[in-house]
Amino acid sequence: MVQINFANKEIQCKVVYYGPGMSGKTTNLEVVHQKAPQTAKGDLTSIATEGDRTLFFDFMPLDLGNIAGIKTKFQLYTVPGQVYYNSTRKLVLQGVDGIVFVADSQGDKIEECIEAIENLKTNLTEYGRDLETIPFVIQYNKRDLPGALPIEELQARLNPTGAPYFEAVAATGEGVFPTLKALASLVLESINRDKGDVPGSSARTGVSGPTRPAAAAAGPRRVAAAGPRRVAPKPVAAQAPAGRGPARATQKRPAGRQSAAAAVEAPSQPRARPAKRAEPMRRPAAKTGKVKIKERADKGRLMLVLAVAAVIIGAVGFVVLKFL
Amino acid sequence: MPKQMRQQTDAQLRESRLVFYKHDIQTIDSTLRDFLSRSKSKAALLVDKDGHLITQEGSTEKTDTDTIAALVAGCFAATREMARILGEDEFSALFHQGRKDNLQLSLVGTRTILGVLFDDTTTIGMVRLYAAETARKLSSTFRKIIARADADPTGGSSDIGAGFSEAAANTLENVFGE
Ligand SMILES: Nc1nc2c(ncn2[C@@H]2O[C@H](COP(=O)(O)OP(=O)(O)O)[C@@H](O)[C@H]2O)c(=O)[nH]1
Ligand SMILES: [Mg+2]
Repeated sequence: MVQINFANKEIQCKVVYYGPGMSGKTTNLEVVHQKAPQTAKGDLTSIATEGDRTLFFDFMPLDLGNIAGIKTKFQLYTVPGQVYYNSTRKLVLQGVDGIVFVADSQGDKIEECIEAIENLKTNLTEYGRDLETIPFVIQYNKRDLPGALPIEELQARLNPTGAPYFEAVAATGEGVFPTLKALASLVLESINRDKGDVPGSSARTGVSGPTRPAAAAAGPRRVAAAGPRRVAPKPVAAQAPAGRGPARATQKRPAGRQSAAAAVEAPSQPRARPAKRAEPMRRPAAKTGKVKIKERADKGRLMLVLAVAAVIIGAVGFVVLKFL
Repeated sequence: MPKQMRQQTDAQLRESRLVFYKHDIQTIDSTLRDFLSRSKSKAALLVDKDGHLITQEGSTEKTDTDTIAALVAGCFAATREMARILGEDEFSALFHQGRKDNLQLSLVGTRTILGVLFDDTTTIGMVRLYAAETARKLSSTFRKIIARADADPTGGSSDIGAGFSEAAANTLENVFGE
């Protein structure tokens, strides 16, 4: 949920890039990290495996600065796409304010995309949320590949509700900003949505500006951003599930990726359609806790989850201590 | 019917929009300062379960606290999931031991996490003791904030100035326009 803090006049919104494995979610975040204005972006932190696959999430804070007197911050996350990481994927969705679904346009990936959307819906339901009421856009990525399906077909199969969509080649940066811009706009509208034009509605905004001690988050906390930071989980790799690569992070993305992402962008023509959702967005009705967890804990699965969790906890602890 | 109502309350506890006013943060900050001086800890962060930093006290100037907040929430979420699989209600505290500094995370109420950074000028026992007391104080503050949020169906959005939408569009154009 959007956090609104009138003490230091700040709102924080959580955006999650969702989609099947390898569709380009992490690449999207890397492009945003590279191209966003210095003053806006924070570090990109990834908790990834040695094979450079997202293990838990990538995270990047984005500070939009002052909007009508309110400091507006976005927190961008990606999830791991692989099917067996569902438990961690679900955790990242907690309290989400807006979702970008990154689809792989290739014909042989369509089933994975459909499965991922279904999985997204299921996971949201478990939080008592509904995709129909959450700001949501779809990005058809990898438009450069010969196997990419025509947009009409992707639309028909992946976007029956007519969410706004964008074409992208995240690897070159194309379409990445338009996608995020559209989603951010929906999220900010959603904050303002319930608000009628009540006279004097901004009265309480007058409760004065920052009042916090100097150490608190009054000014922009971050000046320059370092390069993307890859985080090495502690070497508890022995516990990592076999065949999925030891859970140790790499220093670099495969050669060429960073520079590719920096490449000049052809002016993309994202064909956004206005969301034609029938009803105004509204708070989700409560329907929590009733859905059965799909992943029944048979023993192997439990061990896997525990191993992954152990690695994650180790990694996160390591990072946190390194930071402080 | 009553069951449905209770369900709604649970969901609200978890999902209502958190809106903090000046006096809320003042109350929370003073509770945290009190905690720091009594437990002799270095810094305290209060993070909501979604990963948003609520407030911080103590020496955190050089720290990227937004990222820390996201990691703390992720860490706690992973622990909670393990607890669920193992049939525990919730592991209410987590301890990370470093060579010099240690980090203790504990649950405050239903949706916030208190992160405490401390070194060997104090002990884990002291930190736990005072953290538990502080968690009780803070959860009562949070209950009030959540109760107020439920009483105000606009979720505080009515307090956002009228020019917000237009200004937002301009900002997005500036940041993402190409
Ligand atoms: N050809 C092509 N490759 C892409 C594009 N976007 C991402 N990739 C590549 O797809 C692979 C997976 O990307 P990644 O961002 O790690 O996927 P994630 O699993 O969704 O995070 C990487 O090798 C990227 O370089 C694109 O638009 N076109
Ligand atoms: Mg990834």
